[in-house]
Amino acid sequence: MIFNQLLINGIIAGSIYALVASGFSLIYSATRFVHFAHGAIAATGAYFVYTFFSMFGLNFYLSSFLAIICTALVGVFFFAIIYRPLQKKKSSNAILLIAGLGIMILVENLLLLMYGADVKTLNFIEVAQGKEIFGAIITPLQMFIVLISVILLVVLQLFVKKTKFGKKMLAVADNPELADITGINAKQIQYAGFAIGSALAGVAGILIGLEQNIEPVMGTQLIVKGFTGAVIGGASSLPGSILGSYLLGLTENFGIWWLPSGYKDAIAFVLLLIFLLVRPQGILGINKGVRQ
Amino acid sequence: MISTYLIHIAIIIVIFAILAASLNLSLGYTGMINLGHIAFYGIGAYSSAILTIRHDFAFIPAIICGGLIASVFGWFLTVITSRLKGDYFALGTLGFAFVAYAVFLNWTSLTRGPLGIPGIPRPEIFGYVVRSTSDYLTFSLIVAAIVITFLWLLTRSRYGKLLEATRDDAVGLQMLGKNIFRLKYQSMMVAAFCAAIAGSLYGHYISFIDPSTFYLNDIVILLTIAIVGGLASLRGSIAAAIIIILLPEMLRFVNMPPSMIGPMRQILYALLLILILMFRPRGLFGKVDLE
Repeated sequence: MIFNQLLINGIIAGSIYALVASGFSLIYSATRFVHFAHGAIAATGAYFVYTFFSMFGLNFYLSSFLAIICTALVGVFFFAIIYRPLQKKKSSNAILLIAGLGIMILVENLLLLMYGADVKTLNFIEVAQGKEIFGAIITPLQMFIVLISVILLVVLQLFVKKTKFGKKMLAVADNPELADITGINAKQIQYAGFAIGSALAGVAGILIGLEQNIEPVMGTQLIVKGFTGAVIGGASSLPGSILGSYLLGLTENFGIWWLPSGYKDAIAFVLLLIFLLVRPQGILGINKGVRQ
Repeated sequence: MISTYLIHIAIIIVIFAILAASLNLSLGYTGMINLGHIAFYGIGAYSSAILTIRHDFAFIPAIICGGLIASVFGWFLTVITSRLKGDYFALGTLGFAFVAYAVFLNWTSLTRGPLGIPGIPRPEIFGYVVRSTSDYLTFSLIVAAIVITFLWLLTRSRYGKLLEATRDDAVGLQMLGKNIFRLKYQSMMVAAFCAAIAGSLYGHYISFIDPSTFYLNDIVILLTIAIVGGLASLRGSIAAAIIIILLPEMLRFVNMPPSMIGPMRQILYALLLILILMFRPRGLFGKVDLE
């Protein structure tokens, strides 16, 4: 019984991680650097929906829509004013990573300043009695979360594989120089990557807001999970990062069978280190996970 | 009142100067993008606190044991990240800091978790107890002088040049028959030892430690100091420690609710870090670029 419950918890966690990780992976593919503030961007998504829905009293779906757009804009904004100038100066990836860390702390503390340290809740969907499936409890809200994630991930996958724009993104991810030679506008792809990736982060933020609490520091945990999911699956491969996220969600939830739940973040990093040591390109990555 | 406050700030500056100078050994001189340095600081603080309180160690053995424990972890960190380069190495070390934080928080039988460890005694050296804060300032200045002079001599020595060569031309150094890996872990171990000393100084000064001191916010402060000061420049680290710690103290004199001061401080640090990376990545006295 507990096995099934942990399995389901793992899948729910994995769904949210997969949204963060696929956005991260999209940005990584387009720009080739680690956007460490991605989790903080997801946190702004949660706060935007809180602002529109709980503070302004707008319709929930309209609020979510606006929040996703605002989150995408925030992502693009940071790319335009910080990352892009750094890239133009040919800064190393380590500098971009540290800048991302700076952005993360900046956003976290701005949220803290504007909304306070207390946790916020959306209370949109009533906490309903969970349904029992194979002896495990799952609430309708959790089913909704898994459903939305899966639909979005499938749509994203189709977008990348089937549309022309998506194929351009894949081309840039696969071989930036060659893509550049064939006349693909890399700058456009990078902005699009940031916009779509941040929008996905916004969705993840909203879904977390629905089920758990919204707090300024939620971004740190999200980037740790999203990044780990992406890297263990193969950072530049979209299906890989989704697979990696579910794997992480399951590992964490089965891990707390033996360890205190506070070790959840540590489990992610240990898994990450193991993968970086043994298979740095990730499960589905083709030696593209780590440069050089 | 003001003087007590100034002495407090001065002690924090001295502690961060040691910490930043030691980070500069691994980050600046050896060229390892180590974002997990704060973990060694924490390990040092916890080790010497636990050893003096529960195992009745005297101050000097406790601080040295703390340093040695941190060194062992420094070696371990270099081993597990040995195959990583660039930003992946940076992330691996950052991960180490996260894991260390999770351990401080969750190994409650050892660290008391989020409750922290109170009642860390003031240092006693050969029967003399460093009790007043002004004495503590003198004491930490002496410790800082010893540690930083040691680092300065080390970086100026032939061995220091080898470390810099590890950063600049690892392949060339390997061709000369030097063991790059050994140089790297030695540098990391020395840096970890010095960071642990800074950690012990902090713990025995504040007399209370909890995991939140050794987490992201302080990682950003430390990185800001190291980068603003400049890589491979101990002088820079010391100057930047003074500037960076003093800067947000000005916020205290602005009319602002106390609950806002913390976030404002962090925003200031984050902005400073981003701006220095964008406009002056070599910092004040830096000799090399961050690769």
